[in-house]
Amino acid sequence: MTTSKVVTVVDYGLGNLFSVERALAAVGAQARFAQRAEDLLAADRVILPGVGAFADGMRGLTERGLLAPIQEVVARGTPLLGICLGMQLLMTEGHEFGHHQGLGVLPGAVVPIPPPDANGGYKVPNMGWGRLLPAASDTSWQGTVLADVKRGEHVYFVHGFVVQPSVEQHAVAMAECGPHRFCASVRRENVHGTQFHPEKSGPAGQAILSAFLKM
Amino acid sequence: MEQTTQELEAYYGLPREVRFCRRCVISNQRPNSAVEFKHTRDSKKATIGFDAEGVCDACRFAEHKKATIDWKAREQQLRELCDRYRSSDGSYDCLVPGSGGKDSFYAAHKLKYEYGMHPLTVTWAPHIYTDWGWKNHRAWINAGFDNYLFTPNGRVHRLLTRLAVDNLFHPFQPFILGQKNLAPRMAVMLGIPLVFYGENEAEYGNPIADTGTALRDQRYFTVDDYSKVYLGGASLVDLMERYGLEKVDFDPYLPVNAERAAKLKMEVHYLGYYLKWHPQSCYYYAVENGGFQAAPERTPGTYSKYNSIDDRIDDFHYYTTWIKFGIGRATYDAAQEIRSGDITRDEGVALVKRFDGEFPERFAEEIFEYLSIPAKEFPKATAAFAQPNMTRATFMELADKFRSPHLWRKTSTGWELRHTIWKDAP
Amino acid sequence: MATVRVIPRLDIKGPNLVKGIHLEGLRVMGDPAEFAVRYYQQGADELLYMDIVASLYGRNNLTAVVERTARDIFVPLTVGGGVRSIDDIRTLLRVGADKVAINTAAIRNPQFISEAARTFGSQCIVLSIEAKRTPNGWEAYTDNGREKTGVDAVTWAERGMELGAGEILVTSVDQEGTSKGFDLPLVTAISKRVRIPVIACGGCGTPEHAAQAVADGKADAVAVATVLHYGRHTIRDVKAAVRARGLDVRGA
Repeated sequence: MTTSKVVTVVDYGLGNLFSVERALAAVGAQARFAQRAEDLLAADRVILPGVGAFADGMRGLTERGLLAPIQEVVARGTPLLGICLGMQLLMTEGHEFGHHQGLGVLPGAVVPIPPPDANGGYKVPNMGWGRLLPAASDTSWQGTVLADVKRGEHVYFVHGFVVQPSVEQHAVAMAECGPHRFCASVRRENVHGTQFHPEKSGPAGQAILSAFLKM
Repeated sequence: MEQTTQELEAYYGLPREVRFCRRCVISNQRPNSAVEFKHTRDSKKATIGFDAEGVCDACRFAEHKKATIDWKAREQQLRELCDRYRSSDGSYDCLVPGSGGKDSFYAAHKLKYEYGMHPLTVTWAPHIYTDWGWKNHRAWINAGFDNYLFTPNGRVHRLLTRLAVDNLFHPFQPFILGQKNLAPRMAVMLGIPLVFYGENEAEYGNPIADTGTALRDQRYFTVDDYSKVYLGGASLVDLMERYGLEKVDFDPYLPVNAERAAKLKMEVHYLGYYLKWHPQSCYYYAVENGGFQAAPERTPGTYSKYNSIDDRIDDFHYYTTWIKFGIGRATYDAAQEIRSGDITRDEGVALVKRFDGEFPERFAEEIFEYLSIPAKEFPKATAAFAQPNMTRATFMELADKFRSPHLWRKTSTGWELRHTIWKDAP
Repeated sequence: MATVRVIPRLDIKGPNLVKGIHLEGLRVMGDPAEFAVRYYQQGADELLYMDIVASLYGRNNLTAVVERTARDIFVPLTVGGGVRSIDDIRTLLRVGADKVAINTAAIRNPQFISEAARTFGSQCIVLSIEAKRTPNGWEAYTDNGREKTGVDAVTWAERGMELGAGEILVTSVDQEGTSKGFDLPLVTAISKRVRIPVIACGGCGTPEHAAQAVADGKADAVAVATVLHYGRHTIRDVKAAVRARGLDVRGA
């Protein structure tokens, strides 16, 4: 009998934990929820989920004393996947309802999607399926969680803010919101992030979670 | 102190003890179809039977319908009947009475398009058409049928309706009389012996024996002795002498003369005997084959939008059954849908609790005006009424006279049913 | 325009998937979980579950079916019918719903939308409107197309957006179950008036109808039932028709 992989999912009061748990189960992994530093520090593989506002997310992590453990886990080289707000919290700073400090794992900021003008062409929050494209023409998805995803594949977004990585190479995939291109996925060594929700992106999302399990 | 069951009077010969069917939501107070032209204030009602297990006749019939009846054989009988009567020259070979509602739509359409008959449809007009009822009637005709629409003399109809309300608290009676008698009368008039009704009302609780044959019981539509006839609970003599009606006025409401019916060799059949009837399926059939439209709004007193929706006075009909028998429209609709397997008893009980007995506000003012007998329109009859003008207050006072003590209890806030299904037998 | 979403709508009564015409005469179609999984596998972009008898029993009863299907379905799930309180929303989100659709409770107490949006985020809150044609426009109904409200549907959609709803689900009571096409004027009127996504529902009988609702009516998504439940067409057919109008849809 093969032991299923255990993924530690950070529970900091925000995020659809059960969706993530079920999606992991479908790809043969078991979720273990971590609310305390020691549980996080014992992890072999971590997912940082999140739905909501940047400031609330930081507060949730701070109150539970999880800031340093996350940074520690990253420094050790443990594979970590940030989803949606989870990815945004990895940045250096966030600009939602004021100016807030993030985890600083990836240099960059979190900024609002520009409000649409009269002609619109898109709506905010950006909700729905969007196509994943390589960040740059020569960007390869090999070795990232997008390894098994086809160029142009649709994934599910729900967000009003986007990340702007300061280091170009950290941006792995882009998507579009009206005329705006924004960063849809990041990677820095063992740290991965998706603005979209793999657990809600059907088979494509499942492929992403499977790839993460292999990291 | 609460009166015991023994001490409370039960009007209309209704069973003193109130019970609810174990399977559907109907109570044992449900009156069986009456022979309306013999209906007076003193008539005692025969009510639906409950067997030893507490299951009503209608539910037992539904069981029988599902499990025991050989529908193939019945359908074969229908084919044979049609073969016997089908015209070879394309002339009318059967009469289908109806309103263009889902049931008559289904009946006429099936007979014509599946069994190759040449039906003539006949309609007794509603007291007051609803917009959607009229539209559905047109849709029916436009689906391929000739139709005779008989609209009775408006004044006579109103007078009889008012009398029926005052004497029997039964506003629908004139319609029921007219509708039941129209097809046999037309059959005799036009020489078409075969008449098809839809569902047998016995499926709703008339004695099970009644459903054993396809032929409509002769009692319902012929009468030999007009001196025994009552319309609106008033005798024909009274109608002429006190209320100023003449023979031509009440003739349309009278059943066909038995002799003439026999001479024609008239046969009245229930299509529901030959084809397994499912009202909800008739709804779908009517929508898909003729553009039938459910009512745009919920009918007061029930949850349904596709049952009996063409007459504005319908709302009041069911309100009066609630007053007299404690059975409102939601109970009737839910009972039927439970037996058809469309809803569960739990759901039925919840629907009854929520909707039964709801006062029919939407057409109320119009109906009160309809029921008034002003001198200008009724110079003779008006004098025979203590209160020719029908108002809401008059109506509600009248209602109170028809509340049987064994069903109703007066409280400080109004009237309350002593027995409800959600309390007694949920 | 963003990618169009095709959303199967499942009306659920107790253990059964049901379907009616004009929200009337509900026929049992089968096991909702079975249909849901099949639709997910066939490419449904989201799923919509409506508890049809919730207002009758005073509660939403879908937690069991939501839990069951959330195990096998990995696209967003919206659940509506009888959602009345913050607790109701919390329960549904916890068992696997991503969004909740609210109709009656919102019309009765519009502030409920704000409260819900504040607590769970606008993206979780869908304002569900059942609209019936009147000589001057459309009136909003509740209780599965049974109760009038006297509220203008289009104005109400705009108000809902202002109060914090993240999406509008608009169902045409007139077209519902007829397979005669969406109420395009209704869809257009609402899409023009609000700046949040609009999901058109009611009347889809052919893939072409769906294409009209998004290409002509400017809806962002279509919720469809009859066209799928009876097996007349598949999700792929519907998406092909939308694509043929030059719109992006998942699964190309």
